[in-house]
Amino acid sequence: MTFEMEIGGRRVAVAVEPSGPGRYRVTLDGKPYDVLAERSGEFNLSLILDQATGRSREVSVASAGETGELLVGLGGRTVTVSVDGRRRRGTSDGGAHTHGEQAIVAPMPGRIVRVLVGEGEEVAARQAVVVVEAMKMENELRSPKAGRVTKVAVTPGMLVEAGRVLAVIE
Amino acid sequence: MKILIANRGEIAVRIIRACREMGLPTVAVYSDCDRAARHVRDADQAVHIGPNEAVRSYLAIDRLVAAARETGADAVHPGYGFLAENASFAAACRDAGLTFIGPSPDAIALMGSKTAARAAAIRAGVPVVPGTDQPFGPDATELEIAKAAADIGYPLLVKAVAGGGGKGMRGVQTSAELTAAVRLARSEAGAAFGDSSIYLERRLARPRHVEIQLLGDQFGTVVPFVERECSIQRRHQKVVEESPSLAVTAELRQRIADAAAAVARAVNYTNAGTIEFLLDEDGAFYFLEMNTRLQVEHPVTEMVTSVDLVQWQIRIARGERLDIDPVRALTPQGHAIECRIYAEDPDRGFMPSPGLIRAIRPASGPGIRDDSGVSSGYTVPVYYDSMIAKLVAWAGSRDEAISRMSRALSEYQVLGIRTTIPFFVWLMNQEDYRKGRYDTSWLDRVMADRNCMGFNELEADEETVATIAASIDAYLRALAHGSDNRPSSSVSLWQRTARTEALRG
Repeated sequence: MTFEMEIGGRRVAVAVEPSGPGRYRVTLDGKPYDVLAERSGEFNLSLILDQATGRSREVSVASAGETGELLVGLGGRTVTVSVDGRRRRGTSDGGAHTHGEQAIVAPMPGRIVRVLVGEGEEVAARQAVVVVEAMKMENELRSPKAGRVTKVAVTPGMLVEAGRVLAVIE
Repeated sequence: MKILIANRGEIAVRIIRACREMGLPTVAVYSDCDRAARHVRDADQAVHIGPNEAVRSYLAIDRLVAAARETGADAVHPGYGFLAENASFAAACRDAGLTFIGPSPDAIALMGSKTAARAAAIRAGVPVVPGTDQPFGPDATELEIAKAAADIGYPLLVKAVAGGGGKGMRGVQTSAELTAAVRLARSEAGAAFGDSSIYLERRLARPRHVEIQLLGDQFGTVVPFVERECSIQRRHQKVVEESPSLAVTAELRQRIADAAAAVARAVNYTNAGTIEFLLDEDGAFYFLEMNTRLQVEHPVTEMVTSVDLVQWQIRIARGERLDIDPVRALTPQGHAIECRIYAEDPDRGFMPSPGLIRAIRPASGPGIRDDSGVSSGYTVPVYYDSMIAKLVAWAGSRDEAISRMSRALSEYQVLGIRTTIPFFVWLMNQEDYRKGRYDTSWLDRVMADRNCMGFNELEADEETVATIAASIDAYLRALAHGSDNRPSSSVSLWQRTARTEALRG
C-alpha cells in the first residue's frame, strides 16, 4: 500500500508491506525500514525498529477531532501528520502552506477582544492579528504567513462561532 | 455530614476523594455539557444545575443552594475559582443553614479588596511593597499621582484596585512614562472590572513569588506551612509550583511563616488560606495578597508535609481542633513539583485546544500524583478553564524531583487534543530552571527569546519513528476496514473519517 504523508511541513512518499507476522517493510522516500509492530490498545503501537539492537519505542496515533489530521505522540511530544495531502482547515503553524489567501478562523466560540491590524496593512509571519477571549483566556490569533491583510471581518465585542473567518491575509 | 461540591473538573474530583476517605457522602453538580464528566461519575449523588454558561450553572448561587437543600447536604465545598472567593455565596450558604467549607463571609470580603488587605497586613506589622495606601479614584489629578510616585520611587507599577491576572497593571521605569501608564491602566481596569481606581506600588527588580499555606481553626489556632515557590509564571499566571523554595532558608521560612500567621490572626481567619509574598533578591519579603480558599497548587504542600489539606478543611468546618504539629508543618520532607496540564497548544501561543480526549494514560509509578478531572472519551468543553490535570512529582531532593517529573511527562499520554505537556518537557530541561535561577518574569523573557519556536519539534530520527508509526497505523486501519490494497482505498478511508469528524465538530 502506498500513500503520501506530510509531517513537520515535509512531504514523504510512503509504502507499507507486511513481511511476516507483526512485521512490516516501511519505505520512506525510497529508504526501507524493517520494523516489528504490534497494537497496544486502540491508539498505541509498540515498535521494535531495529532487530539487531532491539530498539523499542511506543508511539500513539489518534485523529484530532476538529481537523481530521493525525496526532502522533512519542516521549511527551506530539506532532501532526496528514495522510494523502489532506490539510488542516484555517490557520496553519506556518512553514508548509504559505501561498495564496489564508483565512484566520476562530478555533472555538468566543468574544473578539481586540483587532490588531487594519485592512491593507502588511503583517509578518506569526504577527498577532486578532485577540479572542475564550475559555476564560485571551488568545492571540497570529498570521500564518507574511503578507497583506485583505479583509478584517470582525470588530471588538463581537461574539463569534467556531470556524468563523476573522481576517484574510494574502 | 453530606457535602455538596460547588465546582467541577479536577478540584471536584480531588474533594470527592477526600470525602470518600473520610466516609462522607458527596453531591456533585453539573451543567449540560458536564453530564458525564468525571466528577459526576465519582460522586454519590449528582444534580443538574443549569446550562453550560457558568453564570447560569456553577456561578448560580440560588441553584447551588437549592441543590444542597434537595439532596439533604449539610455542607458546601466551593473548591477554587467560580464562587470560592465570593462573600455573598458564603453568606447564602450560612443563611440556608449550610456549613460553608471555607472562611467567614467577612474574611472573604475584607481580603478581597487589595488595598484593604494591604492595610490589614500593615496593622499586623507585616511589610508590604512600598506604595500608596489609598486608591486614586477617577478624579485624582496627574499632579497628585506624580507626587505620590516620586515619594515611592521608580521603577514602579500602576495597578488596578479591583485587579487580578495582570489586567490593569502597567510598569513604569521613569517619571516620563507615568502619565501614559496611568491612562492605560485606568482604561483597562475600567473595561475589565468596571472600576478605574488605581494605586501605585514599587516594582522590585527580580522578585520571586513565594506563598505560605495556612490553616486556622475556630478556636484561634493558626498553623502556617512550608512555603510554595510559584515564580514560574506565564503572563502572571502560575504554570509550575514547587515546595520548598530554593531561595528560602530555614531561618527565613520561620520569619515568613510568622508574618503570614500574624496577618491571618489579625483578621480572625479560619479554614484554609494562602498568603502571597514577593521575595526580593536581598531576602526582604513583602505581603502581596491573600487567597481566601484552597489553591490549585495545594498538592505540593501535601506531598512534602503528608497533611491532607482538604480533609483538614472539612474537619475545621465541622468544629474540630487543629492539632497538627507546627514544627512538622514547617519542615519539608523532600521536594515536590507540580505542572498544570492545560488543554492548550503551546505551539500556537497556548491557544485553548478543547475537544474529544480519545484516550488518556496518566503517568504513574514512584512519587507521582495525578490530580485529573478528565478521562478517555470525555470532551473538554469550551465553556470553562482549560486545565485538565495537575501532575505532581515528589522525590527526596529537587534534582530527583525534576528527573522524576521529566520521566512522568514522557509517560503521560493525552490523545486527541493538544496539551501543555510538551512545554513542560522543554521547561524541565532548561538549565536556568534546573539550577533554580529564575524570578517571576524569567519565563516570559525566555519565551520572548524563543520567538514562537515550537515545543514539539522532533529530531530527524524521532520524526522517522513517528512517520513509520503513522504509516503502519494507516495501513492497519485500512486493512481493518476491509479494503483491498489499492492506494486509493486508504485515501477514501481518511477522507471518510475526516468527513465524519467535520460533521461531529
